[in-house]
Parts: sequence; C-alpha cells; structure tokens
Amino acid sequence: MPGLLVLKIFLGVAIVAIAAMVAMALYGASSPVPQEVVFSKGYAVRRYWLVAVLVGAAAVFAISVPHFPYPSAATTGRHYTIIARQYFFALPAVIPVNTPVVFDVTSADVNHGFGIYNPRGRLIGQVQAMPDYVNHLPFDFHVPGRYTVRCLEYCGIGHAAMQGSFFVR
Amino acid sequence: MSVPMNVRAARAIMWTYLATGLTIFLLMLLLGIAMRAEQAGWITLAPGSFYSMLSLHGIGMIVAMAIAGLGTLWYFVNREIQLDARIAYTAYGFFVAGVVCVIVAVFPGHYGALWTMLYPLPFIGTYWPSWATGVWLIGNALAIAGFVILCAQMLAALLARYGGFRGVLAIDYVFQHRRFSEEGKEPPPPQMFAAAITAIDGLISSALGMLYGIAMIVHWIDPSVPLNPLWAKNLIYQFGHTFANLTIYIAVAGVYVGLAHCTKRKYHTSVPLVVAWWGTLLFVILAYFHHLYMDFVQNEALQYIGEIASYLAAIPVVVVTIFSGVMLVHRSGLRWGLGALFLYAGMIGWVVGGIAAVLDATIPINFDLHNTLWVPGHFHTYLLEGVLLFILGWMFVQLEQRSGTLSSLLTRWLVGIGIFGGGALFVLGFYIAGAAGVPRRYAIEPAPGPQMASIATIGAIIVLAGFLAMVFEALRMARLPATEANA
Ligand code: HEM
Ligand SMILES: [Cu+2]
Repeated sequence: MPGLLVLKIFLGVAIVAIAAMVAMALYGASSPVPQEVVFSKGYAVRRYWLVAVLVGAAAVFAISVPHFPYPSAATTGRHYTIIARQYFFALPAVIPVNTPVVFDVTSADVNHGFGIYNPRGRLIGQVQAMPDYVNHLPFDFHVPGRYTVRCLEYCGIGHAAMQGSFFVR
Repeated sequence: MSVPMNVRAARAIMWTYLATGLTIFLLMLLLGIAMRAEQAGWITLAPGSFYSMLSLHGIGMIVAMAIAGLGTLWYFVNREIQLDARIAYTAYGFFVAGVVCVIVAVFPGHYGALWTMLYPLPFIGTYWPSWATGVWLIGNALAIAGFVILCAQMLAALLARYGGFRGVLAIDYVFQHRRFSEEGKEPPPPQMFAAAITAIDGLISSALGMLYGIAMIVHWIDPSVPLNPLWAKNLIYQFGHTFANLTIYIAVAGVYVGLAHCTKRKYHTSVPLVVAWWGTLLFVILAYFHHLYMDFVQNEALQYIGEIASYLAAIPVVVVTIFSGVMLVHRSGLRWGLGALFLYAGMIGWVVGGIAAVLDATIPINFDLHNTLWVPGHFHTYLLEGVLLFILGWMFVQLEQRSGTLSSLLTRWLVGIGIFGGGALFVLGFYIAGAAGVPRRYAIEPAPGPQMASIATIGAIIVLAGFLAMVFEALRMARLPATEANA
C-alpha cells in the first residue's frame, strides 16, 4: 500500500484518538462525580469497544492476506538475479513492462536491502538481500521508465550511497 | 523501625535508577539532535561518525528508559513484598558497567554496526577496529546480565507472594471468578502484571539475546566458526524487539499507580485487564517476526503469526489500559500538575505510536514502509511521547506529593509545549519522510529527507528546551521542604 495513503489513514485515526482523549479529560472536569458513576457506564462500553477493536483487527488481517508479497507455487515469470555487495548492486539493465518477473535476490557479503523506487521516486516494494540465502520477489511493472534501487538494510559506511537503477521498457 | 528503613532504601534505589536513566537520556538526546542536524545538512560529521553515534543512541536510549523504569517497577514490587536492596545495586553495577563498555566501544572505538550488530556485519568491511566489536558485545552482555538479575529477583518475589504462576497470572480470578471473590481473595494489583510480564518475557528473550551474544563473541574470537544469517536475524530481533517493547510495559506501571494517585481513585484489576496482559505475555515474544517480513525465505507461517502476534501483543493491553486510564481521569476533578499531565499525555503518545505500529505490522503496508523513516517515526512516538512521559509523570507525582505543591501554570506550559509540541514536530518529520520512502539509517538522505530533517531538528531542539525546563523544575521541587505527612 502506498506510503502516502498510509500516512493519511494514520493522521486521520490519530487525530480522532487524540481529540477523543483530550475531550474525555476536559468534558465535565469542573463537576466531578464519584468513581462508581463513571465506571459503571464505562465498563459496559469498554467490553463492546474491546470486541469492536479486535473484530476490526481481524478484518484488517483478513483483507491484508491476499495482498502479501510472497511468491507462491503458482508464481511464474522470467527470473533476474540481483547480487548486492558493499556498496553496490549487480542489476539487469532492462526489465520488460507488463510482464511478470521474479527477482532472485542475494548478497555477496553482509545483509542489504533491495528497495525499488518508481520513476517518481516512490518506494513500491522491497526484499532483503541476505548472504547464503536467495529471496524470490515477484513483480509486475506497469509503468515504463527509470527505476532506482536503494539499499534498505544498514550495511556499513557506504550504506546511504548504495544505489543503482534499471529501465522498464 | 524496620519498615520505614525498607521504604527509604527502596526510594534510594528508585531515585538512583531514575537519575541515572534520565542522565543517559539527556546525553543520547544530544547525540540525536546532532544526527538529525546532519541529515538536515546543518552540520557535517566525519564519515562513519553518524553510524557510530546511531549505534550508541539506539542502545543508550533503550537502556536509559529501561533503567529509569526498572527502578520504579522494583519499588512497586517492593511495596508488595520486601526485596533485598543489595541485589538491585548489583544489577545497577552491571548496567553501569555495560553502559561504560558500550560508550568505550563507540568513543574512542568507533564501533558502528548499530544495536542490531546483524551478523556478519560487525566483522566484514568495518571501519572500526575489531576490539571495539568485542567491547561492544561484552557491554551488551553485561547490561543483559543486570536485567536478568532484576527480572529473576522480581519474579521470584512475585511467585512467593501470590502463590506461583497461577496466582501471579490471576488464573483463578478469571476462571473461577465467583468463588474467588466469595472467598474474599484479591487478584494482584495492575502494576504487578506489568512486573510479572516484564520478568517472564524479559528472562525468555534475555536467554535468546545471550545466546546470540555468546555466538557472536565466539565468532569474534575464532572467525572460522560460521553462524547462520537467518538464525542470527531471528535471535537478535527477538531479543531487541522484545526488550524495546518491554520498556513500555515496565513504565506503564507508573500510570497504574500514578494516575490513581492523582485522581484519588482506584485502578482496579479487572478480568479484561488480566486477559489483555495474558495476550501480551504470550504474543510479545512472537511479535518480532514482523522484523523479518521482508525475508522471504523465512517460513511463511511465521509471517502470518508475526502479523497476528503484533496485533494481539499490543491492541488489548493498550485498549484496556487506556480506556481505564481515561475513565480514571474523566470527571475526577484532578488537578493537572506536571505528574498528571505527563501520564495522560504519555497515554496519548502510546496510542498514536501504537496506531502507526499496527499499520506497519500489516504486511502489504510493510512492503512499502519497512526500513523507511516510518519505523523511527512510530517508535520515537511511543518512546519519547509515551515511555519517557510515563517515567517523568511518575517522578513528578512523587515530587508533588512530597512537597504538597504543583508547578506554576507558566512552567507547565513551557514544559508542555517543549516536550509535547516539539516532540510532535520531531516525529512528524519521520512519518512524512518515511511515507515518501526515505530510508532509515541514512547519514545523507534523498529528498524529501533533508527538508523533513530540518523541521524535525527544530522540533528536537524544542524538546531539549522543554526537557531542561523540566529538569530545573524537578530540582526546584526536590529542594522544597517535605510536607508533614511525608517528612
Ligand atoms: C528528541 C529526542 C530524540 C532525537 C532528536 C532522536 C534522534 C534520532 C535519530 C536522528 C535517529 C536516526 C533515524 C534514522 O535515520 O534511522 C534515531 C534513531 C533511534 N532512536 Fe532516537 N531520538 C530521540 C529520542 C529517542 C528516544 C526517547 C529513544 C528511546 C527511548 C530513542 C531511540 C532510538 C532508537 C532505538 C533508534 C534506532 C537506532 C537504529 O536505527 O539502530 N530515540 N533517533
Ligand atoms: Cu545498505
């Protein structure tokens, strides 16, 4: 899910939560009542509220599962080997547009990250590059252009400069 | 009289831990500002310095919060069952020795593989000498030892006091509720769940952390002994994530006790609260799988478990604790001293950071946010605007009670705007840049990183100002004469 969309959801929910908590603290503050009065009502609400939040979380989980980025037995596509090392990537020059591909990502030394940035500079997906292991990242590019790859796992002094690029055509 | 002696000794321990934790915090805060200023392009550090400072800041901050919070937690447990003060000082010695080692590893050692020391990084292509890695590892082991000592002491005491795990975890209270109350029994107070969960999960993940540390020390001594990178990742994140997470559960004990005190109401143990804590007990040690979402070779079932465990470790306990905390404050007529203000604001920070965390713990979202600045965004929210505030809140509740006074309105505004306002600005910079895909742990960031870092640096400097105002106020209150009741 695009980061900026997540940011909007987050800010929306956070503002509501902050406003609710501030309001509960201020509302009726000048006319205190005994604890039992607040709690007899509150406990009843709390039970439903807890159930509602858990049902919400279960729903989010269910919705998220079909969008997991992991390869499955049905994953097909042309394979491209990606080798990361301190502090550069060995990348293919060109990836075909609108074609399922699979990146076979590994590292020749320490852990790195393989983060793909679209031509507008947005992060659109990633996978770790780990020594001794190969991670398979299925992808399908729909927009042609120049994509930037950045390292997304701290790997040493050159980490911030570790980047590369490929074209989607 | 032996009881006041015990109380006085326990207070001394609490204040020693608090003062030490907050002093380390202040030093790490200065490092934090320097790092953010470098990302903003305001200053230039020598190559590598950023990562050495980041290593120290990350571990130092978490340990600072743990030390400050553990002193308080120990004090609360001691109120239920008397603890041996010498053990707390022994643990303190280990913490201090650990912190000294870690500092030496960074200044002058230049260690720069971060708190994660992700195998094989600290051994390959390094810009620091091998001894620095060794001292860093030993420092970590010492700090873990201090933590283990405290956890073991508190757990043993709780088991003795409440009758084994069954009593500590209030099993009968939940499953045989009627009989339990008919027999006139009482479940442990809420802060004892914080202590029990901290101790149990703390011991489990310390064992795993120690395992990692020892494996790393072995590899450091004899590099021909290979480790498995995937196992290494699992172990270090299990330990690191759990430990960082536990700092919240350590500090939240201050909310249970402190907020009840400010509002002159009772924070009861209830069945939902107990069940929520069971959720945390069980799931907090599994939630770390979310650190490995982008390791596609990790068994896929663990990824599912990671998402579910992340939700269940956090959501119930936050919902129940915060809901009760809000009820406690609602129409209580409490007077907003700095103590109450910090505790309540801390709950808000906990919720807001929690929302950001739950979003990022959702795998399709993590695909676009993993290892971006969103991650420091969420944890700085709940650490700086949650854990720290719980600790400060409890501290001010003590100071207010002792002196029988509250801070002036001006002081409250200054401290409030500084720490909450500056803090909001500071974390917002992380969120916006992270959402735009700017990676975390970059000494030099791509756009819009530097612009956001400028705003964040201003926010962080405002936090520093607010924090210093808070320190002066705390010292002023500490020097006021104690009221009769507290003399
Ligand atoms: C205003 C106060 C603070 C400032 C200015 C600050 C600044 C920073 C900066 C610039 C980073 C690096 C972000 C990146 O590019 O990845 C960072 C990371 C971090 N901070 Fe803070 N921080 C503050 C407070 C805290 C607090 C209160 C805690 C914990 C209690 C904390 C714990 C950490 C941790 C664990 C990391 C991650 C280290 C890593 O990536 O290995 N910080 N902080
Ligand atoms: Cu890197």
